[in-house]
Amino acid sequence: MSRHSVLFILLGLALLLGCGGDNSNSSEESSTSSNSSSDAPVESRGTIGFSALTLKNPFFKVIADSLTEAGKAEGFEVIVNDAERDVNTQSKHIDNYISQGVAAIVINPADRIAIGPAIKKANEAGIPVFTCDLQCVADDVEITAHIGTDNYQGGRLAGKAMIEALGSQGGEVLVLHFKQANSCVERVRGFTDEVNEHNIGKEDGKIQIVAELEGGGLRDEGFSATLDVLQQHPNLNGIFAINDPSALGAYTALKQSGKEDQIKIIGFDGQKEGKQAIKEGKIYADPIQFPKKMGVVTVENIVKYLDGDDIESVQLIPTELYRQEDGMKDSLLQ
Amino acid sequence: MIKKLLNSDFIAHYGSVFVLLLLCSYYSYATYGEQHPISPSAGKVLGKRIAAEVGDGSVLIVIRNTAGDRTFAKAIETELKARSVSVFGTVAGSPAEIRKAIEQAGESGQKISAIATHQPGSLFGPLREGNINKLREKHSALSEVQVVFPKSYFWPSFLTRENIVNVVNQNADIAIIAIGMTMVIITAGIDLSVGSLLAISAVMTAISLESFGGADASVVTMIACGVLGILACAVCGLFNGVMVTFFRVPAFIVTLATLMIARGLALIMAVRYQASLSGGATEGTPEAISIQADAFNWLGNGVTLGIPNPIILMIVLYLSAHYLMSQTAFGRYVYAVGGNSEAARLSGVPVMGVLIAVYVICGTMAGIGGVVDASRFEGGRPNAGELYELQVIAAVVVGGTSLAGGEGKIFGTLIGAMIIAVIQNGLNMAGVKSYEQKVVFGGLILAAVILDQLKKRR
Repeated sequence: MSRHSVLFILLGLALLLGCGGDNSNSSEESSTSSNSSSDAPVESRGTIGFSALTLKNPFFKVIADSLTEAGKAEGFEVIVNDAERDVNTQSKHIDNYISQGVAAIVINPADRIAIGPAIKKANEAGIPVFTCDLQCVADDVEITAHIGTDNYQGGRLAGKAMIEALGSQGGEVLVLHFKQANSCVERVRGFTDEVNEHNIGKEDGKIQIVAELEGGGLRDEGFSATLDVLQQHPNLNGIFAINDPSALGAYTALKQSGKEDQIKIIGFDGQKEGKQAIKEGKIYADPIQFPKKMGVVTVENIVKYLDGDDIESVQLIPTELYRQEDGMKDSLLQ
Repeated sequence: MIKKLLNSDFIAHYGSVFVLLLLCSYYSYATYGEQHPISPSAGKVLGKRIAAEVGDGSVLIVIRNTAGDRTFAKAIETELKARSVSVFGTVAGSPAEIRKAIEQAGESGQKISAIATHQPGSLFGPLREGNINKLREKHSALSEVQVVFPKSYFWPSFLTRENIVNVVNQNADIAIIAIGMTMVIITAGIDLSVGSLLAISAVMTAISLESFGGADASVVTMIACGVLGILACAVCGLFNGVMVTFFRVPAFIVTLATLMIARGLALIMAVRYQASLSGGATEGTPEAISIQADAFNWLGNGVTLGIPNPIILMIVLYLSAHYLMSQTAFGRYVYAVGGNSEAARLSGVPVMGVLIAVYVICGTMAGIGGVVDASRFEGGRPNAGELYELQVIAAVVVGGTSLAGGEGKIFGTLIGAMIIAVIQNGLNMAGVKSYEQKVVFGGLILAAVILDQLKKRR
């Protein structure tokens, strides 16, 4: 018995030390890279702490990677943490950044109101806070700069794509929502406005939003929500999903019920898997966002702030529509 | 030899404390690095150094506009004045404001020989080497200016007072809920619903506070609203207890059902309330219901005698729970029911009453956790406490309580909660990437439990 336990403990310790080994390697790497970069004109400018909304969604991983890369080029060390959609976890990250004395904090707020107290603490510690993709609307907090997508415009573009996809017949449309994120609320608002304007003065050929369901922004939830709606609305013609994962979930549901030719899907984001699906005709079109640019511009803003230059406090990047023909030309896809 | 060490009495009795110390020392080693002081004492030393080294001009102090920075600047100024070095002034603000102020200082023509700041300030653009050189050429008043800041020293960033207080404070809610969970698990039960109950309490407290008090709610209203949220959770705990005892439904199933029902109710309440705020115009979103009464954040974000209030609340609750479990008949009943409920019944222990009571206590603790959460985030979050049940159960088990019931210590749970907290914080501080963190976290919990289990297997 006891011998086994000892074995387990040794395994546990090995794991612990193993992680330590990893870690010291990476810190060595960063120190050697800062050494080699000290030959170059880049000097160390401190640390940037980034608490991402969720690193399970590739979109935020792209932001994290571009932020890390751009940050390194400017001489920053970048720490990336995953808030896993939980504002409590995100607040812990911010507390940690403050006690580590970082030069700047970047977040995708997990809750646009409840993140307020944590940001207030950063403000009190004199550390600038930058938001990216998602905005914070809490009272009495100071956000140095925000960069994000113009989600309302993106929603309108999605509406245009839907009108184009359904043509003159119009039809019944399902919206796969993710209400927790204000960005998605904006997208659906834009989509609904565009569709309603299209419907004005039309007798037939109207586009009707017959259902609005939670798709969770996830494949599995988008899949089951779509299956349910197909039972209730067998004549569905279109689906607007607020992001690529839920759009792909919806496609799986359509395929399973043999309705992929009857129903057109409009997604959102333009992640790689989404673009691939557009190229293959699974999704009709996506208003695409530019997560890479968000990371780069955020670092630019941090540098501008520290240098004492002027910053645009809110920058919204318009989306662009990505159709099948764009997919055909895209060399990054298979 | 390792076997001998592991089998010694010391490890047997203080297994989890030992694990905690081991973790702390490891993380101290892993986070050992350069620290940059911004304290009044650092300011004093800096003042002395400037007085000794710097020439005849005056000194400009550059800081950020924060309370800590101002005491730092004050200390420099006092020290300089005591040594009759003239202080040009103190600039507090963002890099842009600092740049303007330095330009103005240059134009004033008064000779400035040093700019005193701290390490973060030295990274601000206007004070960096290239820009300072330009300023030296541009303004004759600044031609000999130097940027000076306190010398850095080496110390583990894990082992600072601020970080340790953070770790305990951030996890006070988990630790508080773990009190109730310990009692439930000692009776060989389980409560999966605690995370959802926390959300119910947070949302109810927020809604009632907004409805009855608004922005200028009195202290009595705040307490009443908090109590309302806690009571709601106690009622849910009562429901769990009744289901487990009278209907003989396994605790795992009952509380799994409560987990889902309570989460749903919290979301429904929040969404309905948001919809009613907008006059029914929109459907409402599952976001935090913000609490306007500023004083309400005292519980979650306030500090008493230098210690954050959630920590004080946690300690008071742990002391009471320890007393309850070790000094009262109720405590003995709880252990008796968990050890062998049939034997307990035959010797006259009111088994049903005890079981119902522990679930009510567990619900109440989750309710208190919810009020702390609402206060900390200045709003009731219907999504609060997701997956808390797992962290809480992990804390209890790591703390040495047996899932089979009958044994466990309240303070063991506190140590368990701190082990979980330290693992998470340490992984963040040591810069372990988030995907790897999950693997290491799971492995470390397993290792901690095994190490602690040794005392039973000897």
